[in-house]
Amino acid sequence: MNVPHYWYNINVDLLRPLPPPIDPYEADSRIALLMRILPSELLDQEFTPLRYVPIPEEIRELYERMGRPTPFKRAYGLERVLGNGVRIYYKFEGALPAGSHKLNTAIPQVYYAIKDNAKEVVTETGAGQWGLAVSLAAALLGVKATVFMTRNSYLNKTQRVLFMRTYGADVYPSPSELTKYGREAIKARPDHPGSLGLAITEAIDFTLMGEGRKYIPGSVLGFVVLHQTVIGQEVLQQMPEEPDLVIGCVGGGSNFSGFSFPMIGARLRNEGFEKTRFLAVESKAAPKLTSGRYTYDFPDTGGLLPMVKMLTLGHDYVPPPTHAAGLRYHGAAPSLSMLVKEGVVEARAYGQEEVMEAARLFARTEGIIPAPESAHAIKAAIDEARRMPKGSVIFFNLSGHGLLDVDAYGNTR
Amino acid sequence: MEIRKPGIGAYVTATYPNKNDFLNAIRCLSEVSDFLEVGIPTNNPKYDGPVIRKTHFASELKGLDAVNVAKYGKVPTILMGYVEDYVNNLELVAKVASEAGASSVLFPDLLFEHLDKLEEYVMAMRNHSLRPTFFISSNTPHRLVNVLVRYEPLFIYLGLYAATGIKLPLYIERNIKEVRKLVDNITLIAGFAINTPEMVKLVIGAGADAVVVGTALVDKLANPMACAEFMLSLRGGLP
Repeated sequence: MNVPHYWYNINVDLLRPLPPPIDPYEADSRIALLMRILPSELLDQEFTPLRYVPIPEEIRELYERMGRPTPFKRAYGLERVLGNGVRIYYKFEGALPAGSHKLNTAIPQVYYAIKDNAKEVVTETGAGQWGLAVSLAAALLGVKATVFMTRNSYLNKTQRVLFMRTYGADVYPSPSELTKYGREAIKARPDHPGSLGLAITEAIDFTLMGEGRKYIPGSVLGFVVLHQTVIGQEVLQQMPEEPDLVIGCVGGGSNFSGFSFPMIGARLRNEGFEKTRFLAVESKAAPKLTSGRYTYDFPDTGGLLPMVKMLTLGHDYVPPPTHAAGLRYHGAAPSLSMLVKEGVVEARAYGQEEVMEAARLFARTEGIIPAPESAHAIKAAIDEARRMPKGSVIFFNLSGHGLLDVDAYGNTR
Repeated sequence: MEIRKPGIGAYVTATYPNKNDFLNAIRCLSEVSDFLEVGIPTNNPKYDGPVIRKTHFASELKGLDAVNVAKYGKVPTILMGYVEDYVNNLELVAKVASEAGASSVLFPDLLFEHLDKLEEYVMAMRNHSLRPTFFISSNTPHRLVNVLVRYEPLFIYLGLYAATGIKLPLYIERNIKEVRKLVDNITLIAGFAINTPEMVKLVIGAGADAVVVGTALVDKLANPMACAEFMLSLRGGLP
């Protein structure tokens, strides 16, 4: 099997058109700002009319060097323990060297930033998966990376910080003293745990403060979801049978969407997957899919980006600290939000303890220690498998390993 | 009235900056444009860029009172409004448009925010002898575009960028070519951030039948001569 030649753009197959991004009325145009901070090719991909976007050969080669296609495995051990004849398959994105699916979009984003003559890429990270992927992609492609990491994670995920620095990145806890927004947040609350929204604002502000910098986002925006569809495009080639249920966890929505959109797209075009249910699983710490409003909101806390229509808890929402820090985000990708709103994708929220229990069961039966984020999908797979009839088929996305999250296993039952 | 192909249209917001200047502007623009697009002033011009937004906020009159100050029809005239303001009054908008001599009412938010009103909108247009017109973006779902084509609209309007007047680094030539394939032989109009003859040439060359100019006109509206000269210079981009 080869690395796919195309990413899949679900926007052109949706039941409704995605409402365009909009500017707030009372300030400068955020849409115009995008040109200053984002690589131009990414902006084009945000609005492309193409259903299949060609993956440049240099990116395909890097995908391959880094371990794509990733394995699509059957969870025999977990099936045996559950014992009710449901077949469970999982895509293992933790097989990539940065330990998660995030490298799928980090590589193209850094690649396109360099095409715009960037000397440095700037980003934010929650648990550190995205920051680690950007650090590696920047190292592979030869530019500097600067990462703003939510303070709670920075203090707890020390190994990820070390890995990022090993790849050559500068890593700062957010809120930081480097930006106006960070200083204000610290002043208002000295023990501020940080939030992804705030870290995004700091990363954008830092990008604007220097020459030769480009900002690259980890989730939510359309081109991030687009790049992640390399996962689902591979699954279409690897799957031995059609699933009854497809599951992924959701922070901003990129891994769930990347995994499932090629299958959902086929369904929307009446080309298969008619019987398949699609289930997005989030953390109770940031339950935008199950409790959020479908409205225009800022993707970042400081309101520097244009507003997009999405399921959101509000851009100033500060979620409680959890071990699945990558899921602590206030909104979901517009395309995913719309699919949830339209009832094409179901949504469910789980609490931390029940998820970590599922993670342990998976580790003991499959040998892979999952990231706390990915374990949300495992928990749903176990729950669903227990109530589905014999012979049913489940696919889930194991979006990352938890070898750098072992503190989470130590800090929960 | 059909839209001339290839053609150039001018966008103005009704009664901006005041009623008299607006009437002068449409008189003058009718001489140098193939069609007019007249904005119905609203407090919520959410898809417009900063320049056009200001015209909505600063117009002398608001809503249908503003478009009602003129008689249109010398060249095809399309009213442009946000359906959000008229979601329960589609028949009224169609009636006003028809009585004022317009050919259609274009609602850019119809498909994005009120897709459930699509049939009702088409009926309202037809009930008043108007033709439907539709606004799409480059990534509007292909099947929906196919549905729109079946309504035989006066035109389909492709917004080239995310908001009026704000140019982004998009491959608009490719985007127009892709959309052209979907709209079949329906008249395809493109707009947003068109301000030079070179852009007119590129957009028409890629497959659009006509273009609309708006933001670039705003600061010339008070001077009919400058307005006409500018439009004539853009016409230089037509084949």
